[in-house]
Amino acid sequence: MSRRVPLARRALFQDRRRAALAAGGVAAALLLVLMLQGIFDGAMGQVTAYLRSSPADVIVSQRDVRTMHMSVSALAPETVAGVQQVDGVAWAEGIRYTTTFLVAADGRQQLSYVIGYDPATGRGGPRRLSSGRVPGRGEIIVEEIAARRLGVRAGDSIGLLGGSYRISGLFRGGTTITNSVAFIGTEDFAARAGNSLAYVLVGAKSGVGSGELARRVADALPADTVQSKERFAAEEASLVKDMSADVMRIMSTIGLLIALAVIGLTLFSLTLAKLREHAVVKALGGRTRYLAAVVLAQAAWSVVLAVALAAVLAVAMAAAVGRVNPAIAVVITPASVLRTGVAALLIGAVGAVVPLRRVVAVDPASAFRRAS
Amino acid sequence: MSGRVPLARRNLLADRRRLGAGVVGVGLAVMLILLLDGMWAGLQGQATVYSQRSGADLYVLQPGVRDLTAGAGTLPPRTLDTVRSDPDVAWATPVRTAYVILQLHARKVAAYLVGSVPGERGGPWSMAAGRAPAADDEVTIDTVLGDRHGIGIGDRLEVMGRSLRVVGLSHSSGFMLSYAFVTHAALDQLTASPDKTSFVLVGTADPGAVAGRLSAQGLNVLGRDQVSANNLTFATGIFGSPLRLMVGIGLAAGTMIIALTAYTAIVERRREYGIVKAMGATRRRMVGLALAQTVTLAALGLVAGGVLFVAGRALINATRPQFAVVLTAGAAGRAVTAALVMALVAAVIPARRLAALEPAAAFRSAS
Repeated sequence: MSRRVPLARRALFQDRRRAALAAGGVAAALLLVLMLQGIFDGAMGQVTAYLRSSPADVIVSQRDVRTMHMSVSALAPETVAGVQQVDGVAWAEGIRYTTTFLVAADGRQQLSYVIGYDPATGRGGPRRLSSGRVPGRGEIIVEEIAARRLGVRAGDSIGLLGGSYRISGLFRGGTTITNSVAFIGTEDFAARAGNSLAYVLVGAKSGVGSGELARRVADALPADTVQSKERFAAEEASLVKDMSADVMRIMSTIGLLIALAVIGLTLFSLTLAKLREHAVVKALGGRTRYLAAVVLAQAAWSVVLAVALAAVLAVAMAAAVGRVNPAIAVVITPASVLRTGVAALLIGAVGAVVPLRRVVAVDPASAFRRAS
Repeated sequence: MSGRVPLARRNLLADRRRLGAGVVGVGLAVMLILLLDGMWAGLQGQATVYSQRSGADLYVLQPGVRDLTAGAGTLPPRTLDTVRSDPDVAWATPVRTAYVILQLHARKVAAYLVGSVPGERGGPWSMAAGRAPAADDEVTIDTVLGDRHGIGIGDRLEVMGRSLRVVGLSHSSGFMLSYAFVTHAALDQLTASPDKTSFVLVGTADPGAVAGRLSAQGLNVLGRDQVSANNLTFATGIFGSPLRLMVGIGLAAGTMIIALTAYTAIVERRREYGIVKAMGATRRRMVGLALAQTVTLAALGLVAGGVLFVAGRALINATRPQFAVVLTAGAAGRAVTAALVMALVAAVIPARRLAALEPAAAFRSAS
């Protein structure tokens, strides 16, 4: 019988409106978890964007400074020469770095990481300009979204570090919900904010792995922190993860509790409404195990439907958010959907406990009583 | 009849467990909205805490900068001399700030490092224990950071390759950010860029006149309230959109739960409702029955949400004190409005079901 009559599915979907409300309720709760995770996953991608596009294999920073985001690093300018002498190093180039405000002529501001790099090599700058050219003396390149926020375009002037810079070009990528990135020539930077370097980017010779090169440079510079690009990017990502962990935990708990309430409500109501049918199944010789499986299958159906709906809604909302505010990147990953789905399945199993007890206790004789 | 038989209430109360699950679900959604609102209020308070508590009447900032969030040191030392030369300036002191990432117990912790001159203003404003840093190898951290990572007075904290001794604990945590106080000279050394500062705090009995004179000398001078307002604008600009999104989702979840509970209750009693209709109840009366149920559910959910919020806030305060959750009258009003909106929207589907109910349903056997 169990192979022929999909009792769980039929009972669940008999009333489409109720099924839709139940799936919608659980989906809304799961959407909360998915969207929040998506915001942090998106931020993680944004924070590591500069590094991921860098041609460097190894990055040197001040001792105990392992990140760029929300960090300050100071290295002596001679560090570059020290790195260049290490066997396996193809090139080494210092970048200067600070956090400050870009200020438009009308007073609009944009918090920005400002990187001073050598425009001649371009190694420390953006991979590609969307318009204009690399900065000369007294010039700056600005991210597109930041330029829009500031109401400026190529050729306009903006203030930073107490000076005025003419925008020579624009690039795409790097503006987040909190800040943007801008690039000026390293000499301009030194003139305004001091001669020390922040990081040294290191390229490996052909055949030398980044891990091996990092080890060799670390041996040569024991007073500094040396990481492969991958390690540095992982450290940046873990910063976002660690900072968001508590918020994620609080919101996920609330979201999953709401999902639990909806699943419990749905299954309980459904079980009560179908008690007579369950009694009939029992009277026909159906085992309690079979009825329990029906309830659990209903829980699974509710969760799977809700997870699918939440995932679709999350992807749609992520696209909508990106269109409304391009600085917020919401990235819905399969891993995030899977994690939320597994958590929801566990919640579904918990939500099925009370209905299960009701089904187990059902009296087969009640099938022959008149329904009231 | 309508005045005598509270049909909506009886129907809702017919199954207490279902009602309980519905109320808890709605309560959780209301709690979510209240918590987000409370965190928002807490964030606003934390965003302005330094500017309000530093004791300064005026702030001299880097040209063009309007708040204290940038964290870089770009003002030259002569700025301080210019400020101090004004006859109405009672006191002026430089403060240097920077963001740092601390590695504690295999976790990264973002901190706002504040460097002030020992004996002058700009350091910790409310000590829980110990004292403000006096030497360049000393640090005062906030109690949240200390409690969370088991760091006490006398312990050492690694900051940017230097080992600093903890000499004090202060009441000064920020949203997703801790405060750590060092000397100005220590921050100069850590960032390897002496002869610079981030901003200058100014104390004066005549802020308007002083600000006017300093501005005339080319300095960027802002009043305390203006800096606070700008800090607030910056912080709320960052967190505003995600928070609004979460509140919207919470509203949607609450609406669905109310609709589901009311709809289920109505479907299971459709025979009784059929009798009501057969006895001459108008369409308006039937819609009113649905609305009465959703409003009752929303009201109960609101109460449950309030209780859950108080419990949730106590739990967050105990385990994650860095998130200040503040209940304001505005937040309570918004929660009531949210519950009302949820009740009204949630009534649509059950009301349509009731309005479309055939009186003949009264004479069919319940299925």
